[in-house]
Amino acid sequence: MSTPPSSRGIGERLQHWLPRLVLSPSFVLVLFFVYGFILWSTWISFSNSGMLPDYTWAGTRQWSRLWSSWTWGIALHNIWVFGLLYIVSCTVLGLLLAILLDQRIRAEGTLRTIYLYPMALSFIVTGTAWQWFLNPGLGLERTMHSLGWESFSFNWLIDANMAIYTVVIAAVWQATGFIMAMFLAGLRGIDGEMIKAAQIDGAPTWKIYGRIIIPQLRPVFLSAIVVLAHLAIKSFDLIVAMTGGGPGNATAVPATFMYSYAFSRNEMGIASASAVFMLAVIAALIIPYLYSELREPRS
Amino acid sequence: MSFLHIHNVHKRFGETHVLKGIDIAIEKGDFLVLVGPSGCGKSTLLNMIAGLDAISEGELLLNGERINDLHPSRRDIAMVFQSYALYPSMTVAGNIGFGLEMRKVPKAKRREAIQRAAELLQIENLLNRKPAQLSGGQRQRVAMGRALVREPQLFLFDEPLSNLDAKLRVDMRTEIKQLHQRLGTTIVYVTHDQIEAMTLATRIAVMRGGELQQLGTPQAVYDDPNNLFVAGFMGSPSMNLITARIERHDDALVARIESPAGDVTLPIVRDRAALETWCDRDVILGLRPEAITDPASANRQDGEIFEATLEVALVEPTGADLYVVTRLGGRNINARMRPGASLSPGQSTRFAFDVSRMVGFDPESEARIRDDAAAAMGTAAQTETLGQNA
Amino acid sequence: MSAGSIVARRNTLARALLYAVLAVFAILYLMPLYVMLVTSFKPLEEIHQGNMLALPEEWTFAPWREAWGSACIGLECSGVHGYFFNSIRIVVPAVLISGLLGAFNGYVLTKWRFRGHKVVFGLILFSCFIPFQIVLLPMARVLGILHIANSTTGLVLVHIVYGIGFTTLFFRNFYESFPDELVRAAKLDGAGFFTIFFRILLPASIPIIVVTIIWQFTNVWNDFLFGVSFTSGDSAPITVALNNLVNSSTGVKAYNVNMAAAMVAAVPTLIVYILAGKYFLRGLMSGSVKG
Repeated sequence: MSTPPSSRGIGERLQHWLPRLVLSPSFVLVLFFVYGFILWSTWISFSNSGMLPDYTWAGTRQWSRLWSSWTWGIALHNIWVFGLLYIVSCTVLGLLLAILLDQRIRAEGTLRTIYLYPMALSFIVTGTAWQWFLNPGLGLERTMHSLGWESFSFNWLIDANMAIYTVVIAAVWQATGFIMAMFLAGLRGIDGEMIKAAQIDGAPTWKIYGRIIIPQLRPVFLSAIVVLAHLAIKSFDLIVAMTGGGPGNATAVPATFMYSYAFSRNEMGIASASAVFMLAVIAALIIPYLYSELREPRS
Repeated sequence: MSFLHIHNVHKRFGETHVLKGIDIAIEKGDFLVLVGPSGCGKSTLLNMIAGLDAISEGELLLNGERINDLHPSRRDIAMVFQSYALYPSMTVAGNIGFGLEMRKVPKAKRREAIQRAAELLQIENLLNRKPAQLSGGQRQRVAMGRALVREPQLFLFDEPLSNLDAKLRVDMRTEIKQLHQRLGTTIVYVTHDQIEAMTLATRIAVMRGGELQQLGTPQAVYDDPNNLFVAGFMGSPSMNLITARIERHDDALVARIESPAGDVTLPIVRDRAALETWCDRDVILGLRPEAITDPASANRQDGEIFEATLEVALVEPTGADLYVVTRLGGRNINARMRPGASLSPGQSTRFAFDVSRMVGFDPESEARIRDDAAAAMGTAAQTETLGQNA
Repeated sequence: MSAGSIVARRNTLARALLYAVLAVFAILYLMPLYVMLVTSFKPLEEIHQGNMLALPEEWTFAPWREAWGSACIGLECSGVHGYFFNSIRIVVPAVLISGLLGAFNGYVLTKWRFRGHKVVFGLILFSCFIPFQIVLLPMARVLGILHIANSTTGLVLVHIVYGIGFTTLFFRNFYESFPDELVRAAKLDGAGFFTIFFRILLPASIPIIVVTIIWQFTNVWNDFLFGVSFTSGDSAPITVALNNLVNSSTGVKAYNVNMAAAMVAAVPTLIVYILAGKYFLRGLMSGSVKG
């Protein structure tokens, strides 16, 4: 709907170019700080860079160093375990809460507010709170003892095999409310007449949910899973705050791996390679999703 | 020199050819209605007149001046939009006065003009409200006020009544017509509603698929359609279209139509010379429902009445009229009879055909078969265009 | 219409069970916040003796005072208040500038479309979703070159750049549903690009402005990755200071002070959430789906 270009003088010609002119600072910023940086990091991952950037081509040297790194293996394993548990738990719990809340609950507004508030908190705050809450000496364990459950033991936070699960718990606590809100919006969007029709047909409640309602929430499932997977891969703050990646390297994930190689170990090459890998995984996830979300609706 | 001249105007969006050479000329004070089914290009044409869409080819002349490349705000045109497009954050007065404000009209003068427009449209009491607080009809008035206040050379209306409910639509239609008569403004009005077109227009342009089908007065378009599309599109209930065979019986030229009760033959009196060349071939005959009546209601003064006995298939009373459906040429045919006639399905009755109103169409090209094609329509150029595209 | 009516009029036992389950979840969700709060009001001895869930026997504001004004972070022993104001110094300009840019972008991308507008939007939008690890190293270098490394100014720039994606998305989606006819009407009325924006669109954009501000505020306030990567010492934001306070390995752990500091970091976003939860949720939703 742009106005036709005109031979009428500078004023109108300026009006014609003005929109693009206004957009251009943002676009230039994004091109440079996003795409330029992506290219730069990608190049660095194929170079000899260590503490300082070194633009000489080193082929896949950094990449093979990355893949032979023991910590990177742990990080990949952790992100896989963490991501899977996180996505599944948030989705299941979120859906459950949404269905429960959709039963004409009296205090629905208040409950929704309570379930969702952790999403407003910083991961660092969440991590601090849960670190304290699950503190083996003074937290939950001690409380249970003082309540009379002497044999209760909960020391996952310092158990290398279990620490990652404490992160899962905190992360699920933080994001479930949001996923619930997504499902609730989906439930509210379902045509009520269809449900009435099913009730008249004599379908029991659980069958109406299983056969009619939940299948219609498929787009919400897709959105929820994409959002959660994206959050999982980027998760950094929570792990730093709760476990610092420890005990040892037990809770390292790609994001903490990248950070420590970039800023503590001064291995720019490997750090860049790990970042490029993270980008590739997210791009493989997000680009098809964005494409399907923003495609012109077929009429 | 005509007031608004749309000369061979084309519009292309990439590969799609939306307007294929439109020629329309109207005089000052005319009320031109662009009518056609959705996607016919009428709104695009209106937007091009407004300057909101670029013209791919051709010329647009307003008052003798070429306005193709003129910025919308410099064309001295005002427009009423389908959604009214009232600025949500401004009051009614702010909405009406915005155009004047942009033209740097001093505040006092502006207030005067707003007051005048508001009085004209009887919305003085709404001036301090926001659009969200108005009813559909009130919004419509404000939108018109916004256009009126600038006293432009040309008003454009883009389906302005389509968001109103049926009753209000009829009222507003009357008001628009009164406004036009009172102010003598020139209007271009887009609608897909043929009744709106008939009631409002001084000139109707029927469009389809980016082409002009017919341009003329409402009566001409109604009585003397250029082709099958116009015949079918204008009028409600629409024109009866009947397949018939042209034959010569002795000296007379007749159309023979199949019917379950035996063939009906109707004499040809209109476009006789042209239809003569169709002897022993099938044509499509067009007859308005009101040209098929009961013998008592037939207009024997102006028309030429020819009667036949046919079986009643269905009776549809509307209160004012009684529509009687019968079978002719393998189709359901609507006849308009007087409401009192006591008829029931299966009964045979006399039907009176006013053959002077009967028109013929070429079943292949769908074009009208007429004696003097160019003279009938006034614009030779447009008939030419149609011929090329057919 | 919701699916809710199904179970709505069933027997009261089912209803009671339903409310019980919901209440249990509500308690689970509130628990960490409750524990944080009560811990922050307890003297340290009480924490070492007792039960985490119990209310303080002796209420004390000392942990809050210490967290705000005298707790040691690194070598500096003046609490988190300086970092709190750092965060404010970062958040205010970053939110305003990225919001304004996003509003302009959304306006251009919906009402003044040009060839290639979809590609431009796609490129801007994708920047919302990149893992920021990919930009950490080059950004650190660029900030160094610009002499704004280790400063709140540097973080403002960073948050503007990586906030544009979301703000553009919000405004684009909002203006997408804003009728084009309004812009056309304004053009006929003689209004130009900026007049249409400031007089017609912006006054009608209050809801999306609120959503954008809340979203950007929460994101920037809660950021840790950029803060920890590009600042240290005095110029760090509150999240970094909190982490340094909590996870420093020296000395006796003052859990009550840690919790008070965590509350200080959490309060601004919690207030925003409580005051404007509806808009907060709308931001979350349109950040995840088309909206």
